[in-house]
Amino acid sequence: MTRIWPLLVALSKNWLRNREAVFFAFLFPVILLLIFSAVFGAGASEFTLYVQNNDHGADGDPTNLSTSFVDALEDVEALQVRSIESGRNITDWSRQRGSAGAARVVIIPDGFADQVRAGSRQARRSVILDTISRAGDQINQTNRASIRQGANATVNGTNATGPAKIRFLSASDDQAAPAIRGVLSSVVAQFNSIAIGVETPPTTIESEDLGHRNVEGVDYYLPALIAAVVMINGLITLPALLAEFRGDGTLKRLTATPLRKRDWILANVLQQSGLALLITGVMVVVAHLAFEVTVIPGPLAIGLILLGAITFTGFGMTLGSLVDGSDAATSLGMAIALPMMFVSGVFWELDLMPEYLQTVATLTPVYHFHRGLRQLMVLDTTHGVGLPFAILGIGALLALVVSVRVTQWRDL
Amino acid sequence: MTAEPTDPVIATTDLTKIYGDTTAVEDISFEVHPNEIFALVGPNGAGKTTTVEILECLRTPTSGVARVLGYEVGEESRAIKQRIGVVPQSFHTFDRLTVRENVTLARQMYENGRDPGAVLTQLDLSEYAGTRFADLSGGYQRRTGIAMALVSDPDVLFLDEPTTGLDPAARRSTWEQIERLTELGTTVVLTTHYMEEVEELADRAALLVDGEIVAVDTVADLVETYGGDVKLVVSPADDNHAELEASLRSIATDVYQDDTGNLVGIFDDRYDAQEAFGQLLDIDGEHSIELTGAGMEDVFLQLAGGTLGSGGELQ
Repeated sequence: MTRIWPLLVALSKNWLRNREAVFFAFLFPVILLLIFSAVFGAGASEFTLYVQNNDHGADGDPTNLSTSFVDALEDVEALQVRSIESGRNITDWSRQRGSAGAARVVIIPDGFADQVRAGSRQARRSVILDTISRAGDQINQTNRASIRQGANATVNGTNATGPAKIRFLSASDDQAAPAIRGVLSSVVAQFNSIAIGVETPPTTIESEDLGHRNVEGVDYYLPALIAAVVMINGLITLPALLAEFRGDGTLKRLTATPLRKRDWILANVLQQSGLALLITGVMVVVAHLAFEVTVIPGPLAIGLILLGAITFTGFGMTLGSLVDGSDAATSLGMAIALPMMFVSGVFWELDLMPEYLQTVATLTPVYHFHRGLRQLMVLDTTHGVGLPFAILGIGALLALVVSVRVTQWRDL
Repeated sequence: MTAEPTDPVIATTDLTKIYGDTTAVEDISFEVHPNEIFALVGPNGAGKTTTVEILECLRTPTSGVARVLGYEVGEESRAIKQRIGVVPQSFHTFDRLTVRENVTLARQMYENGRDPGAVLTQLDLSEYAGTRFADLSGGYQRRTGIAMALVSDPDVLFLDEPTTGLDPAARRSTWEQIERLTELGTTVVLTTHYMEEVEELADRAALLVDGEIVAVDTVADLVETYGGDVKLVVSPADDNHAELEASLRSIATDVYQDDTGNLVGIFDDRYDAQEAFGQLLDIDGEHSIELTGAGMEDVFLQLAGGTLGSGGELQ
């Protein structure tokens, strides 16, 4: 045991003086944390929507109803509404815009207000007629005829040209168009309800937070990137260094001393575990300074990080023992780690991926690693962390056993 | 069981190592005595490194027995490793640690040993103590390796091709360091394909060819037995031919004139030849003298049927 500490210090110094290792261990995840949190974590996404209001009154100003509709669109948080000059040719406008991004345009036609009013009267008449027919014997025949006559009178003289048609134009490959169309439909439905006098819709949606706190982008990426960088260190950087030690004779020199194989493996595991905690500390501090997120990993989170470090160090030592050459070890490590990182939901929620990939993700240890960390560090709950602990615990044990078996201490 | 002071430090009996279909060393037996420099000499692929790596407990012999300091290799490897120092072929250590950090780490791998600073001083490395290993020249890297091997104060030091790849000045410097070790009571086992290195350093040598030892003895006896004649070839001037021939005949066992007109003197050993060489230099006239034969090169030529190239290949 007395040899482990000096070896651990030597390995740590050798690692921390390696610029590439330091970049991938510290700067790389910090850069990713800053970029992803800033890009995907700056509140709800906003979609730009251009509106061309062609409905003008006799005075040349937009009608009240068309203005109300535009106001209703502007009230939607997800939309950033901009106007296009009335009467302008949309095709020319779009062409002039060039490659300035996908354009979504809503066109309010001339006569919109008149059509809404006519439609509103028709709708009110239908409601009245439907109501008296449902009332049955509660309304006598005389009153019934009188009401029907009055209701019909409200629509006399209006042009029944059907509902006012608002046109929504979008590019065929605009993937956000369906979502915006849904938002528009919702606004139109609410506008219609008000138009026929329904002040309070019979059905509404009430939103509540499911979690314990308001989760933002950085909360998602902090545990995910901690898990990812522990995996990268274990599966890419460590095997490359070990293969280098084997290739250049550094390891042979060590095997000629009284150092035991188990001490060598233990020193590497301890070094990687310490590195994982150091990286966690750096990431937590950066997240706090950049995004004012206060996350203090508790004992369980630290335990999970250590289990992850042991798991990936064990497998990394296995790779480093089997593959000749640092470049080959790096390539193999990347071939294993990068697909796992992309599939496991480190960079995006699994819900955005096809169902079969979601199934694949659950088979990767890094998925359970970052899910468990999120529960413990961000949501501050132990709910559902049993499985991550079990999987990483078994993984750590398995990885250590395999690494002990394949690490050669003789006949190098 | 540990060795008595007079016992061989190393003793191998019928040591064999086979890799798949290749026999690296076969039935080799030799002894290394306390406080001597013992050289394993041979071309590349002769089995030198395999042999020392078995003795260093880095490889397992296929058959045979090897004992180091009285401990059996394989059975008592940890006891052996505590008391030996190793500088492997193509020595390397942690690139980003300084010389002092590497030597200190090496010291910490052993229960007992010397002060790293003292070892650095002994090997004239103090000036480079704060230099990272990767930034050292080849000669100083090799010297760092020797420091790392010596810091445990070993009874036996194994040096595998200690001067391969070094320039002549660095090689000479390394030789001086190795010679000093025996003054401190360390037994040195080195492998080399440089005959000059054997002649300069080794007390005894074993010649390995194709995995087998073809001769093992003191260097002087090897040269005596297998080196052949020592010759002085003299190109005489017209006016001193007779005087040169007379001088040669006074010491040489035989003198004759070759096809080119040169006088050739045959001597029993190198010492007689050197004496004759001195006499010939004192004779007036323009003549050239060349001393040939009877070194380890000749021993190797005699026993292996070829000479060794600069890279250790058999020619």
